[in-house]
Amino acid sequence: MASEAIHSGAQADAHSGTHEEAHHELPARVEPDVITSELVASTDSNSTGVRNWMWILGIVTLVGIGVGFAKLLIEWGDQSEWGYTAAMVAFLFSVFGGAPLVAIAPTLAKANWVRPVARFAALCSLASIVCTIWMIPLILNLPMLVVDGARRRSIWFEGPDVSPHMWALVSMITLIIAALGLIYAYAIPDFAAMRDHSTGWKQRFGSWMARGWIGTTIQWRTLRLRIGMMGTLYFFTFVFVHFVISTDFAMSLVPGWRDAIFPMYHAISSIQAGLAVTVLGLWAARRYMGMDKYLHLDQFWSIGRLMFAFTLLWGYFFISAFIVYWYGRSGSDKMWIDYLILGPYFWVFILGVLFIWFTPWWWLIWNRVRRSYNGTAIGAGLILFGVFLDRVRLYVAAWAVPEDRIHERFLTEYPSAVLPDVMDLFIMVGALAGCVFIVLAATRVLPILSIWDVQQFNLLYRPVNYMRTKVSLIGKPD
Amino acid sequence: MQQRRTIDQIHTNRVLLNGQLDTPKWWAPTVIVLGIIVAIGFFMIGIMVNKGLGVTGLSRPVYWGLFITTFVFWVGISHAGIMISAILRLSQAEWRRPVTRAAELLTVFSLLTALMFPLMHAGRPWRIIYFILPYDFARGIMPNIRSPLIWDPVAISTYLTGSTLFLYIALLPDLGNLRDRTTGWQNALYTILSLGWRGNPRQWKLQTVGGILLSALMLPIFVSVHSIVSWDFAVTPAVEGWHSTIFAPYFVIGAVHSGVSAVVTMMALMRWLWKWEDFIRPEHFDALARLLIVVATGWLAFTFLELIFAVYGLDAPELALRELQIFQWPWNILFITFVITGYIIPVGMWLQKSVRNNIALMFWSSLFVNIGMWLERFLIIVPGLARKTPFVYTWESYRPSGLEWFILFWSLAWVTFLMLLFSRFFPLVPLFEQKESQTFSDSIKIGRVKVPAIVREAD
Amino acid sequence: MTLQREKRDYSWGMVVDVDKCTGCQACVLACQAENNVPLNLQDRFERARVMSWIRVERYWEGEFPDIKARFIPIMCQHCENAPCEPVCPVFATYHNNEGLNVQVYNRCVGTRYCANGCPYIVRFFNYWEPVWPEAFRNHLNPDVTVRSRGIMEKCSFCIQRIRRGVRNAERENRDVVDGEIQTACTQACPTDALVFGNFMDEDSKVSKMKKDDRHYTLLPHLETDPNVVYLAKIDTDKSAGESHG
Repeated sequence: MASEAIHSGAQADAHSGTHEEAHHELPARVEPDVITSELVASTDSNSTGVRNWMWILGIVTLVGIGVGFAKLLIEWGDQSEWGYTAAMVAFLFSVFGGAPLVAIAPTLAKANWVRPVARFAALCSLASIVCTIWMIPLILNLPMLVVDGARRRSIWFEGPDVSPHMWALVSMITLIIAALGLIYAYAIPDFAAMRDHSTGWKQRFGSWMARGWIGTTIQWRTLRLRIGMMGTLYFFTFVFVHFVISTDFAMSLVPGWRDAIFPMYHAISSIQAGLAVTVLGLWAARRYMGMDKYLHLDQFWSIGRLMFAFTLLWGYFFISAFIVYWYGRSGSDKMWIDYLILGPYFWVFILGVLFIWFTPWWWLIWNRVRRSYNGTAIGAGLILFGVFLDRVRLYVAAWAVPEDRIHERFLTEYPSAVLPDVMDLFIMVGALAGCVFIVLAATRVLPILSIWDVQQFNLLYRPVNYMRTKVSLIGKPD
Repeated sequence: MQQRRTIDQIHTNRVLLNGQLDTPKWWAPTVIVLGIIVAIGFFMIGIMVNKGLGVTGLSRPVYWGLFITTFVFWVGISHAGIMISAILRLSQAEWRRPVTRAAELLTVFSLLTALMFPLMHAGRPWRIIYFILPYDFARGIMPNIRSPLIWDPVAISTYLTGSTLFLYIALLPDLGNLRDRTTGWQNALYTILSLGWRGNPRQWKLQTVGGILLSALMLPIFVSVHSIVSWDFAVTPAVEGWHSTIFAPYFVIGAVHSGVSAVVTMMALMRWLWKWEDFIRPEHFDALARLLIVVATGWLAFTFLELIFAVYGLDAPELALRELQIFQWPWNILFITFVITGYIIPVGMWLQKSVRNNIALMFWSSLFVNIGMWLERFLIIVPGLARKTPFVYTWESYRPSGLEWFILFWSLAWVTFLMLLFSRFFPLVPLFEQKESQTFSDSIKIGRVKVPAIVREAD
Repeated sequence: MTLQREKRDYSWGMVVDVDKCTGCQACVLACQAENNVPLNLQDRFERARVMSWIRVERYWEGEFPDIKARFIPIMCQHCENAPCEPVCPVFATYHNNEGLNVQVYNRCVGTRYCANGCPYIVRFFNYWEPVWPEAFRNHLNPDVTVRSRGIMEKCSFCIQRIRRGVRNAERENRDVVDGEIQTACTQACPTDALVFGNFMDEDSKVSKMKKDDRHYTLLPHLETDPNVVYLAKIDTDKSAGESHG
């Protein structure tokens, strides 16, 4: 019975990318035992080519860190040299930090489709460790709150002189703690599965981490409560980190840039990028890790729809800021447009808008695209590239402003464009590799799809016949 | 979340059509009293048009006051309809169903009311037709499309048209139902209005497609309307506290906050007045309150950002404005009331499950929200004008005249009056949505437990 | 983004030498009489609805006994990049090609949006129909429209005098001579603190005064590019550098 169900499910998926009719074929259910054994087996690094990839990524990461040290020694104190590092940190934090929200928000709203996605999305938050490491040179190069005896504009009005530096670190560390807590809260039943179904160190590790999980009603209730609490903690820390990074590492470095929506804009594009990276991760899991049995169009379609919504929201938040400056025409208003939009980074801006907003908009608007695995993944790739360009435009421009002009009412002469040097390229590639590495390494311990979530997804889902069509019946437990 | 409850269709028809077929006794006296208040209000507006705006408390430089505040307030309330029926429809939230009609109705009537306020606020209202319908072709002077006051009527009238269509499309099946249950002139009226609705599959399909298309098309309008209203303020660098990039989303989320709260208020009233306990149930209040907690917290974050980045520049005039707005009498009292009623009391209450399921408490907490949200608009608009710029010779305060207060009161009565009038002829809870939700709810048996479930059509 | 000044014959403007201003209010009175501005009676002060196209603001500087009174006359700045203009839905206020920010009373519907947009607060709204005592009826200037209630008004740089001056010059086939056209306030100013003229004319008095080291404009960070230029106060007992503003 079970194998039949799996068989028909796989068939349905094989067609769904191409055939219109195939969409009406509902995914088949998978038996719980099969889920457990397959997903536990998927963490074995010998079975796939993951090990080679991890070597490559690890080496690139280390090279990046080495180059970062060299740069720190060579270009100490030159703020404008660190623009690209700042852009990369902001980008990576936006992308990987935003992904867990994909798991948290729909979970709190009790959506069933999100269950197979939640684990991968939560694992992405581990990349905040890499971001914190790369934030250290930035913190070392960030101007103090008191420059030339006068206090510069910042969100830490009367705070101690090291406020921006301190709060960046504190908030990032809180984020790491929240991320680990979130991942752990999600993973307890899976550690128990690891304890029961694997051997060697994993078995011992699993039994230690599972904390005596046997799945009683009370344990499940605490689990849900923990997920809710850690999710809320993560969400608020996430918003706070965006607030801190976007103002301290970009806005307050440019005199006259006073943009109340900027932290929200930053967070919105971060969620957009988080959705995109989740889609890419799921796509890779389907393609290279054999997860096509568990990941269906339902997930891609739902995330694709959210991605579309956030793409439009990005446009809305951008226009909200733009129209106020464009219409206002006061000195600082013109500065924002002339420096950050039309200025030295004009083409970066144009390309950024094209990839973050315009192309994904007209790509993801088609139901056909969102109903295909590859189409959604392409949309996600476009968005990620766009968000990267957007961060480059904002952060490189902000870090290029010399420190001695920080007290001006608004910037009147604009610094020329800063191009990345070879070290910047190494640093950027290395940081990205580090993030991918850490997520990949995590999937060697915990399965990329959460076992219990996939099981519950299957429990609460029934394909049923309704009159002449087939519909799905989705359980909504209280 | 969805409690299983089987209500047969005959019972549904009988109870939900009681407003039309079996009008309650309180209806006529209430409408008459409200009608008198409305008539007095129109008379007051007449006086104002006749005498001039001197009868208000406005001064220089506080040129905009209570009318604009109330305009923003009603536009905000109007965001309830599309929030409930379009966004929740597209995100397939089942609990929206009994609320949709009332929310859309609130949208239409509050927009109608909102539109009147800029008219009576203008110095020469009889001339305002010029920029709504540019008639002056001979001299070749068209309205200035750079002005946000041109964007306003465009956005609002589009929104009004769309909402009316949306309301009407959702009304069609119920009109057909009413046509079959009435006689005489009422029958004739419903026959014309129901456009030959017989409920065959093709009509249902068209009705559904129309609804979904309108939902999707209305979403950008929904966002744009309050954004444009916010840009009335935000584009002006001259007024401290107005020129903020956050205004558009800040206003929109505030509008959703006040609009959905207004829907909660209305649902409680509907449940009490027409005795619809079977259809408007605590679980609906519970779901709306959960939604409101999220919306309100988001809105608070925007408020916080707005304040932080107002002070961020450390400009003296801006600091003076915030000093006035938050710490000086009488604004400090208004500010505290705004924070407490807009967020602290209601959200503090909604966090308790027992409150979310208690209709009376939900009614009062949602009323608080709208007091707070009205004050929010007032606190944005007026202190900014009162402290505009460094020229201390022109710092002023503002005290609305009795006539302005009465017109605010009149607008509340006017919306209620229109609602009640509507309820006499059309059902306030969509019958077909109610029946559809019965069909769509089911249950799954897992082990020994029966889990409530909903039916989802394959995409 | 700054709007380019196009080539044109006139660019009317004013230079206000704050150093010469004694705060005598003669300009205020002259303006009131010239432009048919309604009388500011007690109730207008009480309700803060005073209309005064030009006002003299008085600030105190320093602590007693070392205290100084500062005067600064403020009227419509006729900004080249005026914030009041784009917000008007009916083009009742717009910029003409002589550098004037003009107000068309017939178009105005009274939204008061321009008044909110104006950072100098020099726009006035007619809350009531203007009334003059019987004895004043024949004193109204026939060249200037009496504004009805419900519309905005503001300093027009005495546009009626500008028009008459230009017309006279055209009739006599000559250029407008510098100083020929005077606004009511400049005419009335006993210390010549207010000077009116054409900025397009390089030799005019205003063009020369504008080049003074003491020149500044009001609220420069808004970049409204006003056509009214101020010359800073000089304190004889202080070094010159400190006196700006």
